[in-house]
Amino acid sequence: MKSKPRRRSIDLKALRLVVCVGPGGVGKTTLSAAFAVQAAALGRAVDVMTVDPAPRLLDALGLGADSADPVEVSLETLRHSRRIQPHRGRLRALALDPKRTFDSIIERYAPSNAARDAILENRIYRNLSNALAGVADYMAMEKLLELASNPATDMVVLDTPPAAEAIDFLDAPRRLLELLNSRAISLLGAPAGIFRSRLRVVDIAARAVLAAFDRVTGLNLLSDVQAFVGSFDGMYEGFAARAASAQEKLRAPDTAIVVVTTAEASRIAQAREFIEALGRANLGVAALIVNRVMAEMPDGAEILPARIRPTLKKKLKRNLADYGALKTREESSLNALRESLPRGAVLMIAPDLGREPLTIADLAEVGRSLGPR
Amino acid sequence: MKLPRVLFVTGKGGTGKSTVAAAIALARSRRRPTTLADLDRRLSAAAMLGVMPVDGTPAKVTNSLEVVALGARAELDAFIGRIVPIRAISRRMLRSRTFGYVTAALPGLEAFLLLERLRIMAGDAALNDRYLVIDAPASGSAVELLSVAAGVRNISPTGTLNRIADSVAGFLADPTRFGAIITVTPEELALREALETEATMRERLSIATIAAIMNRVPDSLFDTAELAALSPLGSHARLAVRRNGAQEAALSGARRLAQAGIATVNLPMMFTPAMGIDELEQLGQVLAAELLER
Repeated sequence: MKSKPRRRSIDLKALRLVVCVGPGGVGKTTLSAAFAVQAAALGRAVDVMTVDPAPRLLDALGLGADSADPVEVSLETLRHSRRIQPHRGRLRALALDPKRTFDSIIERYAPSNAARDAILENRIYRNLSNALAGVADYMAMEKLLELASNPATDMVVLDTPPAAEAIDFLDAPRRLLELLNSRAISLLGAPAGIFRSRLRVVDIAARAVLAAFDRVTGLNLLSDVQAFVGSFDGMYEGFAARAASAQEKLRAPDTAIVVVTTAEASRIAQAREFIEALGRANLGVAALIVNRVMAEMPDGAEILPARIRPTLKKKLKRNLADYGALKTREESSLNALRESLPRGAVLMIAPDLGREPLTIADLAEVGRSLGPR
Repeated sequence: MKLPRVLFVTGKGGTGKSTVAAAIALARSRRRPTTLADLDRRLSAAAMLGVMPVDGTPAKVTNSLEVVALGARAELDAFIGRIVPIRAISRRMLRSRTFGYVTAALPGLEAFLLLERLRIMAGDAALNDRYLVIDAPASGSAVELLSVAAGVRNISPTGTLNRIADSVAGFLADPTRFGAIITVTPEELALREALETEATMRERLSIATIAAIMNRVPDSLFDTAELAALSPLGSHARLAVRRNGAQEAALSGARRLAQAGIATVNLPMMFTPAMGIDELEQLGQVLAAELLER
């Protein structure tokens, strides 16, 4: 046993930032919203942001699509319940459109109108900036910092896009900076001969391949990429400073990174990889949440004395055996997961509601029922 | 209806895409030699079939079924290998940080090479009278992957790349050669994503969807009168309602898919303690009867 104090959950009364990461289809968005509703119910001022390409969070929160600015979510339905006192709490939700955020940042930081136009009109930027070295992920970080620095907000919950690897998203600022800061990129675009003495053999080879690629394809992508990177001249310092504070924020003591998974074998394997990758990046996991865990099976002994027809009893037995088999499958996955729980992390179970949580009340129920195992 | 030789299996994350792809491959291999192309980095379809393919070399499951692992990165490596024949240099290049930045900055290159590889595999399959089943990424990424060909055509209006992009786009849009299968579960969000995916593929990419596979549908056990009789029984009643609820959701889901012009095949929920090759065989038999050999 680990000698750490037993925690029930993550502390939604004290945390300033909760980041939900995990593979696609495990319910990250739902749980992000559930955390946010729960914290608002505890009286805190909460913003929840989704970077999911399909803004389903807004759907669940009853908002229209495409809300790049925080929109107030009504907690009216919760006020009727005596278990919650949301009179001080408030909840706002937004869905981030990375491309739009990027545009606004370029407009804000570009040293001149000419520099701004050069970027906005660059072919790479226009067609494909979202695919470029984590630009979208970087933009989410920018927005996150903006929300978190609002003194009127107590807590921000971030729903990350489904990623192949957890680190893709959290590591994006560093990758974008490396690209922008890469002198080699400018060298690759320069005419041969000028910098040759400074280039290593692999750079020359890389350049030859890409030049050949450009020639064969007629794309001239290389010069566009170079122009794109070059057009960030003078903006680099601002980007670097913000990326550094994003990294700091992720490692702050009042930040919780939460890995979400379901109990399916393939998802568990993915969750384990996420945890390992986060560990390598020195990002601590505060909690591992297994979503949609089946309720305990009913007692089979209750069937026999029930006053129903024998054929129906037989059916109930079969139903119990069927779902019992699925429960067994789930238990063995959960056991495997317990073994890979990182130090200091709490394992939490989000029970299956038996329906898709689509309303604020549903989300509040999920939030309340999140418990340790 | 004659199915295309190449089936591209995608769907929302968690709907059982890899399971369905493995089951389809297993069922198709009963008729003709079949290759399952696993695009999932974790190779879960391969693992379910009990093999672990490496480095683009096919792993044999049976005499008529092989699994090959495909990755965008490996396709890029192979491409570099063709352009830079000196192994030592190409290897050092692939390891260099500079090269990493540049390829990251040449957006879509890796994905495009992967698509081209699939097109070549499809051509080989036609020549050798084989089937090809693709365990594709989840629908969002799959649509991104399939869009790369059109994207390349837009930014490169002439040249070799444009010609390759043309033939890739033509291959994807040819319903006699290529078809998509979308996995879905009896849940609102999965259903909505299936409908969106089908619409995007049809409208933007001219890709035909052959069918939606409604996965994990429990067989019918209780009728309405029985459910009413059960209501005093608490948790047993809830478990019965759960089963019926999933059944009804599958029915109404299939209706909505049909309204959008998409045929649906139901796959039974496997009430077993583990998913193994026996379960895949059973699912494969349903797929053979309801879809593949109709």
